[in-house]
Amino acid sequence: MTVRVRFFARFRELLGTDIPAELETGSTLLSLVRSIAEKKEEGYTAIFDEHGNFHEFVIVMRNGKRVEHEDAAAVRISDGDEIAVFPPVAGG
Amino acid sequence: MIAIRNDDVDIGRLIEEAKQPGTGAVVVFDGIVRDDDIREMELEAYEEVALKELEKIAQDATKLHNLLHVDIIHRIGRLSVGENILIIVVSAGHRPDAYAGSRYIIEEIKKGVPVWKKELTKDGGRWVAGEHPHGSGKPRH
Repeated sequence: MTVRVRFFARFRELLGTDIPAELETGSTLLSLVRSIAEKKEEGYTAIFDEHGNFHEFVIVMRNGKRVEHEDAAAVRISDGDEIAVFPPVAGG
Repeated sequence: MIAIRNDDVDIGRLIEEAKQPGTGAVVVFDGIVRDDDIREMELEAYEEVALKELEKIAQDATKLHNLLHVDIIHRIGRLSVGENILIIVVSAGHRPDAYAGSRYIIEEIKKGVPVWKKELTKDGGRWVAGEHPHGSGKPRH
């Protein structure tokens, strides 16, 4: 199963973007993002707190739709999914 | 025109195109790179999602404020001090709707459209903090 993970802004600088990931069936959104972020400590601590939960300000999307943090551990990733993780927006 | 793009636009032409039958007022918002002791500004967007959000905001503004025409152009890439970042052009039959529609659009963009700005200074760069922390301005679906 292949998915695409996109980080934006500061998270992109720390972790890169457009990261393809090979996953086992049944992987959750939370475990996927953790596994990628863990590769760089500064990136991990920017996104997750000491308990391994998303920082309150982090925004997560699956296929362009927002996923609430409390659902991230239950959302199962499907083949072809696009996951986006980013800090608060600052456009305009 | 609803767009996220690198290039600037001709605001004068947009104003002319906004003058639909029945127009009594056109309001232009032009957000500009301010000289906060910076060299340039780098803008980044989650383009596919941001464009859908802008289209939704334009639709909502049109319904809420009786707008006759809406343009939203958000620029990305590297911009110099004084360049246009965001251009909003709206027309309506009367000025209260035109002003209110324009204001609605910029405030909704600030709340939830996935765009980020980095100010590039002589010492490096700094990401501009959003006005709306997580939860208060959820991106539209």
